[in-house]
Amino acid sequence: MKNNPETKTVQITVAGKPMEAREGQTIVHALWQAGMASEVMTGCLGGVCGACTVSVRYPDGRKGGTELACLHQVEEGMQVFPFPVDPIPTKPPVKEPDAAKLREAYPTLDRCTKCESCTYACPMDIPVMDSVLRMQKGEVEQVAQDFTTCIHCGLCRAVCEDKVEPHQMGMWVRRSLGQSLPNMTPQEEPEGEAEREWGYLMEGTLEQRLERARQFRTQESLNSLEDSKE
Amino acid sequence: MDWAGDQLRQIEATRRQRLDESAPKMDDSKASTLLENFHPDFKGLERLVQVGPQAGKLKCLSEIAELLEADSPLPAVFEPSPTLETDVLVVGGGGAGLAAALTLQNSGLQVTVATKLRIGDANTLMAEGGIQAAVGSNDSPRRHYADTVVGGHGKNVPELVRLLVEEARPAIDWLTQLGVHFGRTEKGYELKPGGGTSTPRVLSCQDVTGLEIMRVLRDAVFHGPAQLLEGHSAVELCDDGEGRVTGAVLWNSEAKELVTVSARAVLLATGGSGQLRLQGFATSNHLGATGDGLVLAWRQGCSLVHLDSFQYHPTGSVFPEAIAGQLVTESARSMGAQLLNAEGKRFIDELSYRDRVAAAIIREVSEGRGVTTPAGRQGVWLDTPLIDKRQGEGTLARQFPGMIHRFKKYGIDPSTQPLLVYPTLHYQNGGVAIDQEARTEREGLWAAGEVTGGLHGTNRLMGNSLLDIIVFGRRAGESIISNIKDRGPVTLSALSRFRKERETVSGLSQQKAPQLYPTVSGMKFELKQAPLEKPGDDSFSQQGSAGGSSFEPPDPFSAR
Repeated sequence: MKNNPETKTVQITVAGKPMEAREGQTIVHALWQAGMASEVMTGCLGGVCGACTVSVRYPDGRKGGTELACLHQVEEGMQVFPFPVDPIPTKPPVKEPDAAKLREAYPTLDRCTKCESCTYACPMDIPVMDSVLRMQKGEVEQVAQDFTTCIHCGLCRAVCEDKVEPHQMGMWVRRSLGQSLPNMTPQEEPEGEAEREWGYLMEGTLEQRLERARQFRTQESLNSLEDSKE
Repeated sequence: MDWAGDQLRQIEATRRQRLDESAPKMDDSKASTLLENFHPDFKGLERLVQVGPQAGKLKCLSEIAELLEADSPLPAVFEPSPTLETDVLVVGGGGAGLAAALTLQNSGLQVTVATKLRIGDANTLMAEGGIQAAVGSNDSPRRHYADTVVGGHGKNVPELVRLLVEEARPAIDWLTQLGVHFGRTEKGYELKPGGGTSTPRVLSCQDVTGLEIMRVLRDAVFHGPAQLLEGHSAVELCDDGEGRVTGAVLWNSEAKELVTVSARAVLLATGGSGQLRLQGFATSNHLGATGDGLVLAWRQGCSLVHLDSFQYHPTGSVFPEAIAGQLVTESARSMGAQLLNAEGKRFIDELSYRDRVAAAIIREVSEGRGVTTPAGRQGVWLDTPLIDKRQGEGTLARQFPGMIHRFKKYGIDPSTQPLLVYPTLHYQNGGVAIDQEARTEREGLWAAGEVTGGLHGTNRLMGNSLLDIIVFGRRAGESIISNIKDRGPVTLSALSRFRKERETVSGLSQQKAPQLYPTVSGMKFELKQAPLEKPGDDSFSQQGSAGGSSFEPPDPFSAR
């Protein structure tokens, strides 16, 4: 890093209010330091909850856009505008999702005019518009994969002139598909062996139990532990 | 990362040679010495707490002790007068709280979930690596038990661990039915090893497992009947005057008013305390993790266990400065990333227990083998490019989209560049004592998730906390259904007793608790100033029917 954040300060504005910040800080930490924490809603501070949505503008004419304030660094002259997105109700998932069922749940799916605002707005770099086009074609597996990292901040929906709700549909596809997958946990094994092993592991003093656990964990079962001792 | 050019070139040059190198081994006695010398739990900064149920007995970090001894932020004249009646009050909108709410949704009981931030804003969301369950072919719940107990230094409550591991398969089935995607192969769930697992046992959704689980739980709750109170922090629990918890006082942070809730059962699912930033550590935790639940339960007379033990996740990011403290998932190590000191040498088995790995990193740094960042932080290298070398090109990008995304913003590509890491305050190992039904020692009060203690002993394994919140969240819901009592009176008698006890001890700090927000955030508990009843009346005035009152006395000079 060329500049030491301990020393260099920058001037930014948040919702029109000027403030000083240290270079290298995130917008959220700069707000904290300036005593202006309540200007932008905050949640996880790690870029996964989608609470701290803002839009930013740069003084040098570079393209600004929507960002998460907890991940985005301040820079000289930056203008920050809080961009809170209210959640809207989702539709319940269905088994074996396809394009027809998705259209039924979210009739605005076909209103997409391919302006790509959603893709620009997404702070997680999800190819949102491409995925909406895949939804129209019913390519649900790929859609589910596209939305794996969706933090449900709602920016894609908030910027959509055509009232398409990509994040809601992505969630619906993922949940619907997930519910259609079979359980793959194995059947329980016979009771007797299990109870004997529980007895071995849970009885005795703390030291005895710890020592038994140490030995047991490297074996598949009590039988193999006993075999290995012989 | 031009400033570290020489070291990066050295790491690059030795990568191929290190690929097949076996990890440095350490026997248990050496490991104990390592922990005692370098783990933050052993620094001797603990003291006895002077007020409360275990006064003179409970030893914990002085920062925690001050919190437990602190007075309530409630005004002395505050009288609780319930304006909201519910059957079950769930305090906390993270994984444990929502798992319980979903379990309760067909019980006929009215459920209210109150949460400080928004529903789902919780550490659950930030869990990356995965969730443990003994579903592999060579695995069993007993083996999972043994790993967990060895990881926890044998201090785990055996019955709680047994429940955890035996309920793991049903928990995975339940999540799958709700629509959670876990990585799969043709044969079954894809399983990764974790630090201290004797066989691969960690199910995951790439490196966003917590996000996936939280998204699904939240959506399911949104479709259910539970009443959701966002922006409502619990500041005190209420009781019937005879030791039974009967409600809570919540602070509505938007209206800046107090709300008193009467409930037949209360579930404490408030999570952990990383934002207390103990001993000056950075944290991987979300905004709300300020240990509120410990304080609430403590004032009701609940015992706290293993509160001298915290988890410092070995690999918190230290560069770039903007994301210092944020998590680099343990999966990176389970997929082959190695830890290297400033000399480019490995110094610990990367898949050893978290406390050992964290202590080893601290040792390297304190003995002068750490790397200093331009901002003055210290750390060691995590050689992430090894993941693709070991597992095939493109593996890192495919398996760790969250990591790629986070570092890309700063021009760092973990698939070609190593990261700099140092332990970050990650998990509250101890907490409120519970039984196998998630009941606390107080009737009417249940607790689940990170706020509880005993399950993980003094060191938690990767993937056991996501399992904890699902298993014990559901268990709490079931137990409430079978044990719920009739409505009782709502008083603050436990708080009054606590305040009287405080008066007998001198030299206590002026701090208020629960503190609700990280101190560094400058955010505060602040009630709306109530209008005066009549001019010249300088007494506190009741604020509407919510039973609130003004927090600060009116300014006598305001009329000038």
